[in-house]
Amino acid sequence: MRLTRKTDTPKSTSGLGISRRQFLKRSGAATGGLAAAGFMSAPMMQRAESAEKTPVLDAPVETKRTICSHCSVGCGVYAEVQEGIWTRQEPAFDHPFNRGAHCAKGASLRQHGHSSRRLKYPMKLVDGEWQRMSWDEAIEEIGNKVLELTGQHGPDSIYWLGSAKFNNEQAYLMRKFAALAGTNNTDHQARICHSTTVAGVANTWGYGAMTNSLNDLQNSKSIMFIGSNPTEAHPVAMQHILLAKERSQAQIIVVDPRFTRTAAKADSYIRIRPGSDVAFIWGLLWHIFENGWEDREYIRQRVYAMDEVRTEVANFTPAVVENITGVPEAAMRDTARRLAENRPGCVVWCMGGTQHTTGNNNTRAYCILELALGNIGVSGGGANIFRGHDNVQGATDLGLMSHSLPGYYGLAEGAWRHWARIWDLDYEWLESRFDQTEYADGKPMFSNGITVSRWVDGVLEDEEAISQRTQLKAMFYWGHAVNSQTRGPEMQKAMQQLEMMVIVDPYPTVAGVMHDRRDGVYLLPAATQFETYGSVTATNRSLQWRDKVIEPLFESKPDHEIMYLLARKLGFADELCKHIEVNGTEPLIEDITRELNRGMWTVGYTGQSPERLKTHQQNWHTFDFHTTRAEGGPADGDYYGLPWPCWGTAEMGHPGTPILYDTSKRVSEGGLTFRARFGIERNGENILADGVFSRDSELEDGYPEFTADMLKDLGWWDELTEEEKREAEGKNWKTDLSGGIQRVAIAHECAPFGNAKARCNVWTFPDPIPKHREPLYTSRRDLVADYPTWDDVASHYRLPTLYRSIQEKDVTGDYPIILTSGRLVEYEGGGEETRSMSWLAELQQEMFVEINPALANDLGIAEGDDVWVEGAEGGRVRVKALVTPRVAREVVFMPFHFGGMFQGESLHDRYPEGSAPYVLGEAANTATTYGYDSVTQMQETKCTLCRIEKAS
Amino acid sequence: MNLLTEWLHTWRVPLLALLVLLSLGMAGPVLAQADPEGEIATAVPATDADTWRQVRSGETGPNYRDSRFDSNYNLINASGETWRQIRNRWVSPFGLIAICGMLAMIVLFYLIVGRKHLDEPRTGRKLLRWTALERSLHWSVATLFIILALTGLNLLYGKFLFKTLFGDAFWAGMISGSKMLHNYLGPLFGVLLVIILAKFLVRNLPSKHDWTWFKQGGGLIGKGRHPDAGFANGGEKVWYWLLATAGLVVIASGLVLDFPNYGQSRDAMQWANIVHAVGALGLTAVALGHIYIGTLGTEGSLEGMATGYVDETWAKEHHNLWYEEVKHQAADADETLGEESTPPQRSS
Amino acid sequence: MAQMKFMCDAERCIECNGCVTACKNANDVEWGIQRRRVVTLNDGEPGEVSISVACMHCDDAPCMAVCPTDCFYKTDDGIVLHDKDLCIGCGYCLYACPFGAPQFPKQNAFGERGKMDKCTFCAGGPANSKEEEYQKYGANRIAEGKLPLCAEMCSTKALLAGDAQTVADIFRQRVVQRGHEDGAWSSLEGRPATADELAYDATRQQ
Repeated sequence: MRLTRKTDTPKSTSGLGISRRQFLKRSGAATGGLAAAGFMSAPMMQRAESAEKTPVLDAPVETKRTICSHCSVGCGVYAEVQEGIWTRQEPAFDHPFNRGAHCAKGASLRQHGHSSRRLKYPMKLVDGEWQRMSWDEAIEEIGNKVLELTGQHGPDSIYWLGSAKFNNEQAYLMRKFAALAGTNNTDHQARICHSTTVAGVANTWGYGAMTNSLNDLQNSKSIMFIGSNPTEAHPVAMQHILLAKERSQAQIIVVDPRFTRTAAKADSYIRIRPGSDVAFIWGLLWHIFENGWEDREYIRQRVYAMDEVRTEVANFTPAVVENITGVPEAAMRDTARRLAENRPGCVVWCMGGTQHTTGNNNTRAYCILELALGNIGVSGGGANIFRGHDNVQGATDLGLMSHSLPGYYGLAEGAWRHWARIWDLDYEWLESRFDQTEYADGKPMFSNGITVSRWVDGVLEDEEAISQRTQLKAMFYWGHAVNSQTRGPEMQKAMQQLEMMVIVDPYPTVAGVMHDRRDGVYLLPAATQFETYGSVTATNRSLQWRDKVIEPLFESKPDHEIMYLLARKLGFADELCKHIEVNGTEPLIEDITRELNRGMWTVGYTGQSPERLKTHQQNWHTFDFHTTRAEGGPADGDYYGLPWPCWGTAEMGHPGTPILYDTSKRVSEGGLTFRARFGIERNGENILADGVFSRDSELEDGYPEFTADMLKDLGWWDELTEEEKREAEGKNWKTDLSGGIQRVAIAHECAPFGNAKARCNVWTFPDPIPKHREPLYTSRRDLVADYPTWDDVASHYRLPTLYRSIQEKDVTGDYPIILTSGRLVEYEGGGEETRSMSWLAELQQEMFVEINPALANDLGIAEGDDVWVEGAEGGRVRVKALVTPRVAREVVFMPFHFGGMFQGESLHDRYPEGSAPYVLGEAANTATTYGYDSVTQMQETKCTLCRIEKAS
Repeated sequence: MNLLTEWLHTWRVPLLALLVLLSLGMAGPVLAQADPEGEIATAVPATDADTWRQVRSGETGPNYRDSRFDSNYNLINASGETWRQIRNRWVSPFGLIAICGMLAMIVLFYLIVGRKHLDEPRTGRKLLRWTALERSLHWSVATLFIILALTGLNLLYGKFLFKTLFGDAFWAGMISGSKMLHNYLGPLFGVLLVIILAKFLVRNLPSKHDWTWFKQGGGLIGKGRHPDAGFANGGEKVWYWLLATAGLVVIASGLVLDFPNYGQSRDAMQWANIVHAVGALGLTAVALGHIYIGTLGTEGSLEGMATGYVDETWAKEHHNLWYEEVKHQAADADETLGEESTPPQRSS
Repeated sequence: MAQMKFMCDAERCIECNGCVTACKNANDVEWGIQRRRVVTLNDGEPGEVSISVACMHCDDAPCMAVCPTDCFYKTDDGIVLHDKDLCIGCGYCLYACPFGAPQFPKQNAFGERGKMDKCTFCAGGPANSKEEEYQKYGANRIAEGKLPLCAEMCSTKALLAGDAQTVADIFRQRVVQRGHEDGAWSSLEGRPATADELAYDATRQQ
């Protein structure tokens, strides 16, 4: 499909006069006329024609400091604004993460201020046609429907699907909104991004986040990327990685089914079969144990149950590993040796590791490898999990998930009571908002809601099989790309069964066009992050403050204002904003930040007050590029963005924690121990740290989490002020709202969350020690007997979840080829936003499938041919063939950013006029299949089966 | 004198070609003043030897990708510098030498030898030589040829003279007008040329006496006697066949350059440009001779193409065989007005 | 006098196309024209290497030499600029340029290509006003003491721009740090260059 250079003149020129800012050149017709005129008349001079571009203004320049919204690296940006128009973008050379650098997406940010393909005003679908409506009408109609459905089917019939594109304040407000609406049916993209990481890693050593920082990668001696391709997904991270490679000769190892662009920069590339990560890691550990390369002292002091791992690993001899992964013994040994000889080293993983039915096993296996090498809690080491969206870390921390309240407090009564105190709401009133019936998973208030990965089944599943009153009846897609989700054809079916779909987004998104409905769909234009302000959490846990660059374009409104409007209609606006100032209908961002500061003790989101964050934002230049620490200036000694945990209150002035579990630093200066999250003993064995502690700790051994009673036992209670004592009595470090317990613990250089061992055995998980299990759709039927998947589960996150019954069916006869998916540097996520940016869209105009030359020859396919890729469940996509040795002969790859085509049909005309992205294409996930992680319901996108035929 | 003209007319082109070839040989050593390799080395230093060779060759192999969506250009345009050198060092200077040389020779010839008058007095009886259709075709083609030659010369040499002479504003109009005239009229010229070539094909088929004509140098050798010539003499036939060969090549190469919308490669356009320039400059030089002989150089020629009729004497002296065939049709001057019958053709 | 040059460190270039869109951002270049492009050799194979190329502002610029209208000129900084009012869209600069830098908005019959467009090293071009300059050529960052946005925004600092001497110094320092053969100009003979040779091409001035 070649793009047609059509520019639609927007009907509405309200707001800032978009027509003036329409920079795209009009069609070439004018030039022909001009040429002819020149030919006829004298002097026959062809003046250079001027395309309509950003105006050049003499008005004063306001420079705004903002953060790129395209990935979690968190690149700083100087946006220059004149008369409300974003006229220039300058590199932020003084920003400690990117030093002014940008990838294609970041370098084109300014176009967000000029996008003409936006959703321009509220609309609804009436008899198949989009009709414009006012905000008041839209809120009234949508609100009435929500009230009606809530009355009829209970609050769980409505799904509030939030977004990693929210800033922290909006993400927090959205979770609060869902709670007050009386449901846990809320989630965001972390579920289909790093949920298996968060679960797996947090259950290994405490927190499920990147342990070190991008800047700290510069100190690594070896970096192993497994299922991660930063050159396309996190390009600016490569600046740090290449520095490590150049300055300290770090070994770069890439383990991937695909020879990625990162592999092109690596010292060593290992091709593995998709879905064989655990076997690969066990294969490395086999050589490490065999050669005694593990760090025995580290393991003795800080790791629990490595022996059980040793037993499991013993089964993964080189021959077994080669059979499962396809990697020969020599390459395995070489990789293990490189890791062992080049310490400190780190492992980096992304979607290639997480998006599997066995995702939680994968992530724990990576952690165990690093623990064996003694790489966790040291500079240059770590489990460096690169998060995806710009604020997926923040939205996760702020609990925009179906299984937790903000701060990973969970959904137990204690968690609800904690947050009810912060919100200053009556717990009983809060409880009354929920459906009181008890279902298979328990009462809805305390049971995990349906996940974003499974909302389709939440609509389609039999009512009796769902652990709530009814199926889902209405969906709010509040900043979500449905084409990033698997099982496209079933999704379309689910959309048709819904009573109402509401899409709240700056763009119409694929959800707005793929449903094949004639009514019951609403589009509400949301502002982008450049049209509002607030804080955003980067992948390294740093919080950064964004300025508002421009006013919302067209009639769009910031997300938190839309939440307020809806809450007002639904009758709980006063509760939602009880301690939040509301200007007109817009809640004050700073007040939301302060409110979340008051409750987020678990992960240390308490020290990052708006004032401190703004100080950091205004003083980028004072932070060191290597350490991210401020040298002098108003933030002297702070780590940039106060990477969480930033303990205690803002007044306490904790500098943030640049490296998790780093015992070489004092806790008051960012040091830590492993968190004592899993009790103090297991089967009689002590699981607290053994003789190791953070620098200058007054407790020189392992210790449990701090509580009021523990302070008393230690004789430190009287160090609390009287006010603190009143609040802290009977509380612990997570629930003491005064922050006194944390303050006193840190005064003695102890970690408030205790000092324990990391655990290799997660006894609460289906596989306590990670196991290799074949994918549900595996091409290796011969391995199924030895490495089978789990039994089907009757109810998990309210839904039946299938494993064995899927794997049992052998479809390899019809679908012999392994299908995997991934990213392109020019686009992000579902791609609606980036495909609507002409500067980016021009770079990738075709959806394609990568096919190995040998496979292409087998199938009679040449480069550029149209082919049908049909997934194992029958979803078909028509795409262009890209013949490349990048993939192995038995594997094909598709990028997942495309949308707007569905099984061969263009959906272009279903977009509201003038809002279709420049580039449309088939969504890879139309062809992907069933498969959900056994702990988090992560979807399987990286390993399924397909067949390919040349399209006629 | 007449014979010298005819001789020169005939041998001009081969002589020129020889001259150009000799000059090229001498020009060789002073080539390669630019250093694109140096620029490439500056631009992309951190490449290993293999990559470097790949880059330099311009050949980029099967797994080559470009961020430009529909680009078919390799990383390095390896032939660009060659094209530049051929155009700027060879074609441009020697084209000028050819044309100026031709002009100088004509001026010299005219000054020394002067006009070729009819040997016998005019009889006053006229023979129809060119019909109105033929004349209008000739003059259309001639006009277009002159416009294309002038605009083409302006494209090649204008900047050295007019830009400094008239200033940027005027020059901008002048050069863009030149380009447009050249590009839009070129294809029209091509169409008309094909028609006129078809129309005159039969008259210009070579015959035995043409060989004699050439041996006698069109009358230069063996004084006082015109060699035999039919409707077209040997010299005219050479001009015809030059147009039918080089002319068509110039047109074809011009079309390659004029219609980039068909996506022809940059390399194809480079070669087309060289072929076009060499052919067109050569034809222009020859055309000067044609124009001289047809106007100033020979008494009685221009009136043929102007009125359609030639004097009996002119016909007898220059085209004796044709004259023998058509002399019975000779008419008095006053009878020729309005006459539009086709002149008889050679039947054998 | 400074001699402005671009240099792309292929060991660092990751084909993120940041330079391509940075250029669009700075200069509002229309759809279909990429003043800077990124090419990749051996895509998907060991030996894959990406290079960002644009107008290299050659010392002896072939485009200038062949232009029938003589619309090119060189600034004191060694930047090759052109006057779009003089350009007739004949395409000769494209035939001659070693880097495929000149591009045309159209490719129509009768050689109607529109006005040639190419990298200006973010130095604008001849115009009567700031507005006109931006409309025709894009930004003039050089006049503000800034370097081209493509190099300033390069994600891995692979693309360097600036005075040839400075750029060569930065690159030489990198080569020393890398400490292996292929980090250097591999030189025309296919052997690694010596330290003295490293700055040769970039510093050469005419």
